[in-house]
Parts: sequence; structure tokens; C-alpha cells
Amino acid sequence: MDTTRRGFLGAIGKVTIGAAASIAGASQAAEAAQSDTPTAVPHWGMVVDLRKCIGCQACTVACIMENAVPEGAFRTHVSVYELVKDGQDPAMVMLPRLCNHCDDPPCLPVCPVEATFKAENGEVLVDASKCVGCAYCVQACPYDARFINHETQVADKCTFCFHRTQAGLLPACVETCVGGARNFGDLNDAGSEVSRMLRENEVSVLRPEMHTNPNVYYIGLDDLLDGRVAGEAAYHPEMADSVSSHKEGL
Amino acid sequence: MTNRRNILKGAVATGALATFGVGYAGTVKKLAKGKWSGAVPRNEHLTGNSSPAEYSVNPQTGDIALNPDQAMSYTMCIGCTTMCGVRVRVDKTANKVLRVTGNPYSPMSTDPFIPYESSVAESFAAMAQAGKGNGLLNRSTACGRGNAVLQQVENPRRVLKPLKRVGPRGSGQWQTISFEQLVEEVVEGGDLFGEGRIAGLREIRDLETPAVEGAPEFGPRANRLMWMNCVDDGRDNLVLRWLKQSFGSNNFTRHGSYCGGAFRSGSGALFGDFKAMPHAKPDFSNAEFIIFAGTAPGNAGNPFKRIGNLVAKARADGDLSYVVIDPILNNAQNGPSGERSRWMAIKPGTDGALAMAMMAWMFDNDRINHDYLAQPSQAAADAAGEASWTNATHLVIVDETHPRFGHFLRGSDLGLTVEGDTYCDADPHLVASSNGPVPAGNAPAPLFFEGEVDTTNGPVAAKTSLSLLRDEAHRQSLEAYSEACGIPAAKIIDLAREFTSHGRRAAVDSHGGMMGGSGFANAYALSMLNTLIGNLNWKGGAMIAGGGFPENKGPAYDLASFPGAVKAKGLPAGRNVSYEKTSEFKRKKAAGNPYPADGPWYPNAPGLATEWISSMVNHYPYGAEALIFRNTNPVYGIPGVAPLVEKLKDPKVVPLIISIDPFINESTGISDYIVPDSVMYETWGFTKPWGGVATKATCARWPVIEPRMEKNAQGDRVGMETFLIATAKRMGLPGFGDEAIPDAQGVLHPLNRAEDWYLRGAVNVAMLGKTPVAPASDEDIALSNVARIAEDLQAVLKPDEWRRAATIYAKGGRYENIERSYDGARATYAFDKPMMIWNEELGSFRRATTGTRVPGTPSWREAEFADGSKVSDHYSKEDWPIRVFSYKSPLQNSYSVGAEVLLRIVASNPVIVGSALARAHGIRTGDMVRLTTPGGMLESVAVVREGIAPDTVAIEHGFGHRGFGAHDITIDGETKPGDPRLAAGVLLNDLGLIDPTRDKAGVWVDPVSGTAVRQGLPAKIWRIA
Repeated sequence: MDTTRRGFLGAIGKVTIGAAASIAGASQAAEAAQSDTPTAVPHWGMVVDLRKCIGCQACTVACIMENAVPEGAFRTHVSVYELVKDGQDPAMVMLPRLCNHCDDPPCLPVCPVEATFKAENGEVLVDASKCVGCAYCVQACPYDARFINHETQVADKCTFCFHRTQAGLLPACVETCVGGARNFGDLNDAGSEVSRMLRENEVSVLRPEMHTNPNVYYIGLDDLLDGRVAGEAAYHPEMADSVSSHKEGL
Repeated sequence: MTNRRNILKGAVATGALATFGVGYAGTVKKLAKGKWSGAVPRNEHLTGNSSPAEYSVNPQTGDIALNPDQAMSYTMCIGCTTMCGVRVRVDKTANKVLRVTGNPYSPMSTDPFIPYESSVAESFAAMAQAGKGNGLLNRSTACGRGNAVLQQVENPRRVLKPLKRVGPRGSGQWQTISFEQLVEEVVEGGDLFGEGRIAGLREIRDLETPAVEGAPEFGPRANRLMWMNCVDDGRDNLVLRWLKQSFGSNNFTRHGSYCGGAFRSGSGALFGDFKAMPHAKPDFSNAEFIIFAGTAPGNAGNPFKRIGNLVAKARADGDLSYVVIDPILNNAQNGPSGERSRWMAIKPGTDGALAMAMMAWMFDNDRINHDYLAQPSQAAADAAGEASWTNATHLVIVDETHPRFGHFLRGSDLGLTVEGDTYCDADPHLVASSNGPVPAGNAPAPLFFEGEVDTTNGPVAAKTSLSLLRDEAHRQSLEAYSEACGIPAAKIIDLAREFTSHGRRAAVDSHGGMMGGSGFANAYALSMLNTLIGNLNWKGGAMIAGGGFPENKGPAYDLASFPGAVKAKGLPAGRNVSYEKTSEFKRKKAAGNPYPADGPWYPNAPGLATEWISSMVNHYPYGAEALIFRNTNPVYGIPGVAPLVEKLKDPKVVPLIISIDPFINESTGISDYIVPDSVMYETWGFTKPWGGVATKATCARWPVIEPRMEKNAQGDRVGMETFLIATAKRMGLPGFGDEAIPDAQGVLHPLNRAEDWYLRGAVNVAMLGKTPVAPASDEDIALSNVARIAEDLQAVLKPDEWRRAATIYAKGGRYENIERSYDGARATYAFDKPMMIWNEELGSFRRATTGTRVPGTPSWREAEFADGSKVSDHYSKEDWPIRVFSYKSPLQNSYSVGAEVLLRIVASNPVIVGSALARAHGIRTGDMVRLTTPGGMLESVAVVREGIAPDTVAIEHGFGHRGFGAHDITIDGETKPGDPRLAAGVLLNDLGLIDPTRDKAGVWVDPVSGTAVRQGLPAKIWRIA
């Protein structure tokens, strides 16, 4: 993974994205989704249908607005790739990324103050009253989904919009997903839309080799992405701080 | 760099960095902050700075409870031209918009949208995790930009008080003045800037003196006030009332000619209306195959979200396969959808070659819809069970020496008795038969005919429209077409075969990507493909918009006419009329040869902002004494216009320039006065979809927050409405003041405030049709916070009206239910006029600059200049081997840069260079390159990609600003320094061309539609660092 931690803008970075998993990577919740008897307690999960992502970044912006995400950081965003294979036309792949709310979260055991914990509905959350901002969890996350919020000075990440799901609402990114790629619901309820999607589609998870048992699933994560595929990152050019390149104008 | 095998390349600078954040070094000192106590964490410790939820829903019952600190209101986003219905969440105490998402009643934001009868409470529950679909079924959204542009309300560079320039135009120096001073100065004129006397609006409003001495066709001096608008944001009816019916100027234009006008004109040719320019859209949900050329579903377009959503679902869950024909690979293509979603590179501005090649193959292989094309009339189409008809079988006079060349052969040409005037509507069109031409009747007619027919004036050569189209398609070989567009012949054939393998469940869709030097002809050609398979008005084919519920002329109030209204007269300054109507033509004809005219004229075009600045600086046909920019930015938007803008900065050219705008953009920056205006969720208006929505839909916008502009002496917020009303009243213009708006009984009502206008419009929207909308309940009014304007509703409207108007605002408009989309296998709302295989107006006009004609059918034409010469005649391929084009951004448009959160995701727009071209020039990603055209030069960072046509360079639109705060702004001596983030990137329009063949300077435009050229600019490129 890219751990250069350079500023998001104005830097060139190598990027690695996680490998696509076989269905085996999507074990626990996918099995739960087969069950006809929902437990009383929902287990939240997200199923991202990559065939429906249009890369509009509505989720990215909605998350920033909803959660006051500071400049330079994201709780979620959509990586956009031009996929190039020998002998084939290039193709666009839009990959929404966020905390995977793993059932075996690598960020949890490394926390020296037990601020990171699994909540009742499966969310991986950070108790800001305990977090000391040591950033061990930031390093431990295989999905690069965490950051230290320079305003709150604690570890920050996607909460699956804990404050909204508590109120019976959808996470902001799901509510505003234009293509209908992001789908959210109770994996313990076989009747939920996400359970139906898991039953009826071949799904993958990111970085199955980490055995994190994530609760974010992907439909259409191509075999091309199997393994850790390195390549050129999207490029955010260093922009001149003047406008001298403009021809005579205003 | 990794090896080139199967590498994964980050693309469009949209957040592909894996980094979510930045590391934090100062850890140790904070270690003592807290320890795990074992207690259950409090919620506020888990969610950081997240906004408290706006409401809560009981998942079992669907009952909702509001957060008393926040309001939720349905209104309209105006972050782009789509103008979606949205739900805005407001912090009531702070008068601040917190977040925006969709309105589930609105088809622009939701599919399927909920029944209009649903209560506001039910609409809230529909978007939460309650009931079927867990909130996903009626998910209603805002796009990336729509989520961001609420920031414009609090943009620190907003204009909140009237501004008057200090020093020269465009110097960036301003002073604030009172609203009252503003109105007095612009109305009365005088020596306003110490530069000499300027005529005010009162003096210019002269309905007697001609605008041009000795040329009465240009109407009165009042026409020398010219109004440039951007897009109809739902307020244009008030503007047009003021300008045309009260002031009496006929000069009004919008931005279309430098946006997607070439497509609209080409579609207008097919639909037989060059002024309204109707267009159809594919039935995205039910089509089996769509060709997108010059439009990019999901990447951009209008309606942006709706198309993106429907195409995404159709390719994943439905039956749709599609091909995107575009010089650049963008978000319209979707790798995970595999063969369902393909991309094919084309040379910029050559879509006509592709379309004509496909047509030729379709003719040669009998893949046109005979049964459809053979119906010569509505009656015949009805009898045959067709959903529309065409003039394919109608006979056209093709004898070039005939005075009616290019016109249809009519009954009176054969000596038939006609009721009414010769060539009136009742004079029948003729079709071929074994007995010679006969009037088009209610039976099929021969598709092809060419030969001589006997008329009362002797034999004349005639062909059917379809014969003419076939001839035109065969004018070049498949190989020549292939060479022109860069798509291999075999692929063209495959595309034509696939397109004609789905019956009527296939369609071609196009839009703004047509802006090339032959863009009109290209757009007409692409649109014609739909007609050849007969897909119009069919489910799964191409459908027109269902329209809306017009607010201006309804059962309750007449906002469209009033006592004392003026009829604006005279040919407009943009020359979008027949040259043959002018005194210049008559003068030159009398002298021998009327051609060429002194400049181009475009009879088959709508209002042309592209030509206006040329008209103003050249005073041809006449100049402006005053110019008003209203929320528009032609200086940024028109390619190649910069040299003309330099002249416009001279006050002698146009003595008075007024802007009505919330921001100082590139155009308002050269004005003399700026009238502040409302932004986004502070504004009023009504809009309907441009296309892509099969049902009737009117979106209503109202101030869901208190506007931030200062108040005038009367206590009203300063803005466009207050300015129009105050200036009209000061000049004593009709249609404003205490007796201005007639109701159904003819009683006149006042127009003194914005509410007087819009609330009465809302009543019209509510009352239209057989069943008016239901009155809003107290609960609807409370939940939607229409309570905010309830006092005004009750004060302005009649007791039996106000609750129905309240429904319009409580639900964010009026929407027909989704079941009305189709009537069986057909669209409910059909386009009922014939499709023009041959367009008579097009086929019979002469270009003013050349005296020559263009085909009345689609054709493939190389890009050309006003005198008919080809671009390559002036700028050879050897000297200018590259073609530059622009493409739309999913995030940024020409006026969104101030929403800073968008710049967090995409900070700038590097120029995109194809890998082969990059290799040839030694360019690697990250290098600085210089790009030069005959019109300009820019330097920028290059990104090398595979997904771009050979020998082309692409520039994303929306960056390279000089306005909006990119440069210093000084107001009352206080300077707000320019922000380089706002200036980031480059603007393709800086590379646009002045037409080298025009005597009176003008930008390069399409010869028929007069629309700007930005696709396929000749260029060269160097690596400079």
C-alpha cells in the first residue's frame, strides 16, 4: 500500500489496490445472508455494485458534508482507474473505498487504549474520549481507511454513519449514490436488499489475504485486479501558484 | 514504473491515491489523554464532528420525528443546467444549509419516484431504512457537484451589495453603492464615470427612433439594450416580461450557442423547428442498444443524474448494451460491465462521417424501416399503426435553376386547386406514384424516386427526401468516411449491424460534444439514424420530454400578458435571421450581386451569444448602448472570444454594461455595475426537464434560507427581481407596480415584490389540468418548513389558493406519477409533427457569406470557415498536426469552482495526451507541455493516457479561471487577494479561433447553427519541461 502519506493534492503517488477475492473471501456475512431467521440485532454491511458506479463522487462529497471531514482527508472516496490490458481497449473502473468494518479488524488489537472497538451492529468505531491519536490503527488498516483528524486530534474513519443508522436513516454515501452502486442494510436479515444481492451475485472483497472478514462486498471486481497490482496513481499535478500561462485576458 | 503488462493506471485525477489522510507526528505528548474505562461510549464520542441526524424513523412503523434544530425542504439545485429536485437540510439557527440530497417526488433525482399523492412524512420515510427496499428502492440523490455547491451560499467572494466600477473596465476595482443609487444611475444615465455622458435605460427605451438609420428592419432604438442570459433557471419569464413586453427590446440570448447548440440545431433540423429545437432521448431503461456520440452518460449531460442512474441500472440489471463514441474514454464507459459498455475512439468533430457511413450501409443492406418511412402523413401513420411519420416520401425540387430549388413540390405546382394561398399548409405535399406525383394521402408511398415531373411551368427534376438522403450518404465511400472519422470500416459496419438488429429498441443519443466546425451537420446525421429505424415515440426507442406545468399562463393568473404590453420588434443583433430580409441585401442586389454579405447570417439558428460580441464590437448589423449579463459568462465560455473582449472593455464600444450576478466572474468582471443576486437555495423559480423524463414534471424553487444580499430601502433583499421591479417602476414601464397581473376574472394584482410573481405562478402550477393538486396539510407545511413562507402565501394569494400553492413548495414542484410514462408500447407524450428527412428551410437557404447552399439532408462536411474554405486550407496538417478538444467534468462546470470541496477531489485539469503522441514528443506524465493553436497558447501539465484518440489532446472543462476570485478583487479600497486554487488549470476556450476569413472579426462558428467550435481545434504540442 501507499504509505508515503503525502498530501492528497499536488503529489504523485504510486497506488496499490487490494486484490479481488473469490466468494470465499466473503464468508461470514454471506452465509448469514442465507439464513431465514433474522436475529434481532442488525449486522450492517455494504454491497457495492461496481457496474453501477458512475464515478460522480456524490458519496465522497456527501460524506465530507455530513461528517465535517477535514481538508486533506477522506472517510470514503471513489478511486477512478483507466485499466489497460494488452490487446484490449482500455476501460474505466470506479472503485468506491471506505472502512470495511471488518469482523476481524487489524486496527483493533493494535490500539493501546482500546479506543477502537466493534459496536453492536458490526461497525468498527473509535471512542474519541479514549483515543490518544497514536495512529497505530492508521498504520494497521490494510485499506488505508483511517486518518488522524487534525481538528479533533483523534483517529477518524467511516462509521457507516453511526449517527444516521441509529436514527433509522441510511449512511450519507448510500442515500446519495446516484448510480445505485452503494447498497446498505442488515446482513443478518435474509430479506434485506443487501442479503438478496449477496445471494444472487458473485461477490468479492478487497484484500482477502488479510483475512479481515470485511463487511463491504463488491460485485464486478474484475479478476484483472486479482493480486496486488501496482501501477500509476491518478495524478494530481503540482499547479503553479500563478496564472502566468494564461494568455492576455482579464 | 512497473512494466506495461496489465498495469492498472490511475486516470482522471479523481482520488485514486490510496492515501486517506496524512500522518500525525505529535503522538507521545497526548498519550496521557485517556484510558479505556469499560463504559459504553457516548454517541458524540463516536461520530466526531458529524451533523446530528435531521430526523429519525422508526424502522417498524415508518413513523418519523424531526430534529427541531434542523429543517428539511424540497426545492431545486441550480448547480448545473439539469436543475434537479432536491431535499435541503438547514440548520435553522445558523441559517445554513448543511447537506443536500434528492427529492423522492422528482424524476430528476429518483427512479422510481414516489406517487405525488404521498404525504411529506411518507416521502421522508421512503428515503430511510423503513419498509420494502430498506430505503434503497426510492433512493433519491444529489450528485457530487450537487452535494458541494451549497458552499456557494457562503462563498466569501459573493457580491452582497451593489457594486460600481472604479477606474477602467476590468481593472478589478469596485466601490459599493446603495441600491437606490444603482437604480437612479442606470436608469437616468449621465457622466457616471467621469468619462463622458452615458445614455441611461430611460433614454435608450425609445420605441420610435430606429435602431439603425435607414434600416427599419432592425426595429427601434430600444433594441440597443441587449440581454445575455445563461440558462433559464426558472426566472426567465420575469426577465422576458421586463425586457420584451415592458422595455421593448428584442435582443435576448442564452448560452446555448457556446454550450451544446450545434446538437440542438441539428436535432431541430430533424424535428422541423430551428427555434425551439426539440430533441428526443433514448428510453434508457427499455432500449436494448444505444450509441452515445458526443454525450457521456454518467459522466456529464442533462439530466445528469437521471441518465447516469438509468444507464447504470440498465447495463447491470436490464437489457442494455451500449457504445460510447468519444475521442476520450471517460466515466460513461464502465469496465465491470464488460461488453455491455464499450468505448470507441473517434476523431473530434467527425461524427457525421461515422453516421453517414452507417446510413450508406443501412441503405445498401436494406436495414432501414420501410414500413415506417413509407407513411407520408399522420393519417397514413395512424392507419399503419406507426407512432410518428416522416417526409421521406415527399418530392423535392432538385433543379438548381428552378426558383423553388430545395423546396417541396406542392399541389399548386401541378395546378391542383388549393384552398388558401399557394404553398400554404393546405397546399399538399406530393409523393411519387405510377401515375406521376399525387398528394400525400393516408396510404404508404414510394420511398425512392428520381426523375422529371410535369408542372404547370414544364418538367422539373424531383427526388424523394429519402432518395436525396441516400445520394448524400453515397457521396463518399465507406473507406473515405472511415479515414475521416478514424474508425475502421469493419467496426463501422459492425456498429450499423448492431444498431439495426434490435428493431425499434435501439437509439442514438447525442448532445454537447457536437461543437465542431461542422457540428450542425454531424448532429443532424446522428439524429437521423433514429429516424431510419423508426424508433420515435416507442417504448425502448427515442422519446421526447413529457413537459411540465407552465407557471406563466394558467387557470388562475396570466403572467404572460398584461395591459399596455409592448410587442418587441426588429431583427435581432445576432443575425440569426435571413440575410435576405435586410436593407444590405436589397442594396447589394440592386448593385448587382447580393453575396457575399458583410458578415454571416444564420436563419436556421436560435439566438446566438457567439455572434453577439462580434455584432457589438463591429456594430454589424448594429451595436449595443447597454448590455446586461444575467448569471452568465460568455467571456469564459466562448472559444476564441478574448480579442473581441479586449475591444468590449472600451466603454465607447458599449457604453453601459450591467451584470446581475452573485459573483464577479470573467464577464461580470468587465461590467460597470454589478447587481447582487440570490444563490442556490435563496432563489425562486420554476423549471421543467429539458429531456429524458417521459412524464410531466415542474420543479419549484423557493428560498429555504434567508438570502444574504443586503436589503434595499424598502426592506426587500436586493437581487434580480428587486432590480427589475425598481427600474421598471422608475421608468414607468407597463406590467409592473400595483396593477400588473390579471387573474382569471381580469382583476389586476400587484407586482411589487418577487413573491407577487412566483407565488401566483405556483397557483397556476397547482391548478392546471383536470385535477388540481390537493391543498397542503398543516403537517406537510410543518415538515417541509413551508411554514417559512406561509405568511407570504396567505398575504399574496386568495384564501382558496394558498394551500394548493403550499403543496407545490412542500413537495418541491408538481410531478405526474410514473405510471404515465407509457401508453402500452408507446410513450404517453408523443411528438406529433413529421421528422424531416429533407429539411426545406435548410435545403433552400443561401449562406450569406458565400451565396452557396448546403444539403437539406444530413451530410458529412469537413470543418470549415465562414467563406466556405476548409480549415486545412489555412492551417495545414503539417503545421498543425494535433486536434484539441474539451470534455465535461463529472464534478466541475464553468461556475462551480467556488465550491471548494470539489477542488479537494480534483484540484486541476492537466491536459490529456495519448500514449503514442506522447512517445513521439517525448512527453511523460507530469511534464510541462505547451499547446498552441492559431488562436492561442497555453502551458500545462500533461497526463499520458491510453483512452484517447490518436493525435488528439483533451482538456477537461471548468478550470483556468480568472474570475470568481482567481485574481485580486478590490472593493472600497480593500483587496481580497486572488486565490491560486481558484485559478488552477487551463481553459480550452483560450485556444479558440477567430475565423480568419471574416472581415468583421468574429469567432469561428459552425456555418449553419452559428455555434462555437471547441472540438477539433488545429494545434501543435511541445514538451517544455
